Amino acid sequence: MAAPLELSCWGGGWGLPSVHSESLVVMAYAKFSGAPLKVNVIDNTWRGSRGDVPILTTKDNIVSQPAKILNFLRKQKYNADYELSARQGADTLAYIALLEEKLLPAVLHTFWVENDNYFTVTKPWFASRIPFPLSLILPGRMSKGALNRILLTRGEPPLYHLREVEAQIYRDAKECLNLLSHRLGTSQFFFGDMPSTLDAYVFGFLAPLYKVRFPKVQLQEHLKQLSNLCRFCDDILNSYFRHSLGAFSCVNRNQQQTDFGEASLLLDKKRSMPICRNSPSL
Amino acid sequence: MSLVAEAFVSQIAVRWAKVNVIISSTDKGMGKSYPQTIAAEPWPENATLYQQLKGEQILLSDNAASLAVQAFLQMCNLPIKVVCRANAEYMSPSGKVPFIHVGNQVVSELGPIVQFVKAKGHSLSDGLDEVQKAEMKAYMELVNNMLLTAELYLQWCDEATVGEITHARYGSPYPWPLNHILAYQKQWEVRRKMKAIGWGKKTLDQVLEDVDQCCQALSQRLGTQPYFFNKQPTELDALVFGHLYTILTTQLTSDELSEKVKNYSNLLAFCRRIEQHYFEDRGKGSSSIRLS
Repeated sequence: MAAPLELSCWGGGWGLPSVHSESLVVMAYAKFSGAPLKVNVIDNTWRGSRGDVPILTTKDNIVSQPAKILNFLRKQKYNADYELSARQGADTLAYIALLEEKLLPAVLHTFWVENDNYFTVTKPWFASRIPFPLSLILPGRMSKGALNRILLTRGEPPLYHLREVEAQIYRDAKECLNLLSHRLGTSQFFFGDMPSTLDAYVFGFLAPLYKVRFPKVQLQEHLKQLSNLCRFCDDILNSYFRHSLGAFSCVNRNQQQTDFGEASLLLDKKRSMPICRNSPSL
Repeated sequence: MSLVAEAFVSQIAVRWAKVNVIISSTDKGMGKSYPQTIAAEPWPENATLYQQLKGEQILLSDNAASLAVQAFLQMCNLPIKVVCRANAEYMSPSGKVPFIHVGNQVVSELGPIVQFVKAKGHSLSDGLDEVQKAEMKAYMELVNNMLLTAELYLQWCDEATVGEITHARYGSPYPWPLNHILAYQKQWEVRRKMKAIGWGKKTLDQVLEDVDQCCQALSQRLGTQPYFFNKQPTELDALVFGHLYTILTTQLTSDELSEKVKNYSNLLAFCRRIEQHYFEDRGKGSSSIRLS
């Protein structure tokens, strides 16, 4: 058997297994490829590190950053993409680049830079999961990091004012959402009937935007108008995260670990019928 | 030791360039719709493209961007004159080269230029449906995300290249100590950006691997077709050509970058095809490249 894989990541809320995009990407991919991940949710004790989350730990390795984690999982033979053609693999890379360039700045802005959202939702949520006194420092640092990233990548002249940068990044994000919606069309996943890496990335970026309740919601409103993307997120949540959501909604903050391997849907590696261990009805 | 692209011949002596102020109305050109007056004016004969000095100053990434714009305009059959100025970067409305001066509009970077040209009634991607347009935009982002960032990394974060090539070239038109100050300032800016997007901790090997992945994706997407969207070239073809051709024909401290591209024969054929069709046949610009 493969060495146990432990993922440490930010926890969930609002019906999601995690509110952090990158953590969600890794969790979704693990579900799609059938990798048995033990998820350690970061909480406000001093266990574990908080930098560079999500982090995958095995007996010999520590891997951070979603792209590297996904590569590592693929090398361990948990591959969600092996039914894709070469061209679809190329399309995956291209669409991921599109997400990172066009959608990510706006998502970062909605969560971390927009004052109403940050102070009423994001900061309290993260601060409650970070031990004191780090909880006073870390959210602020994450917010500055997000603003920095937005300004350095998109804030070049002639957009000198933050308001103009904001207008531009939201315009780009809406265009990106429209493009994704066109590309998805009426199919269940982006490449046919089985989910792949691209589905994991799109889900990871869109689901928090879709579900988290914010005061300032212009991008969320736009997303809700694209019904096929909303349906896509809901489908994945219902099919792959239903049982673990039950575990999350009643999880006590003191409960440290949730074992995805047992309490949730497991996909057989050949991707035939999903096998649910705990459901008597199947 | 200086960065000599085989296909480009230096024609301009290094000197202090006078600051040419080209303003009538600077156009931000980002997602704005253009007024009717723009659409009504035909493309003038004296449209010019500004870039840095070819032989002595221009760097890999800027060269790639400039070539992409030139290729795009050639594909649209729009005449453009290339003018080299040492301070092109500072003249540009967005700080990036190349920029074009058309009528009384100044537009920089490929994205806004494509939109500007579209407002004038010329477009290469009109024949594509929505899904294909989404794909085209996605692949353009892939090239910008991976190839362009890798070029910037190699130029400004790899110590060997920085010391031997980049600093000398970047500051070449200016006297001491300005040449050093400007080069260090630019290096600091680029490194800050790399750190913000997570490339600060990457090693050169990881960057080259990313380039390989990107080329593999492009090669698989291109397949055996002449252009990315079969028969007709689009702005994606122009962008890919600009970057790949520049990588192939620019001499750096080591050949690793161009070797990564040379692994894919259909990409080589693609570059050759565009070069033949749009540059040699029209008798402009580069002399033929030796790709093998």
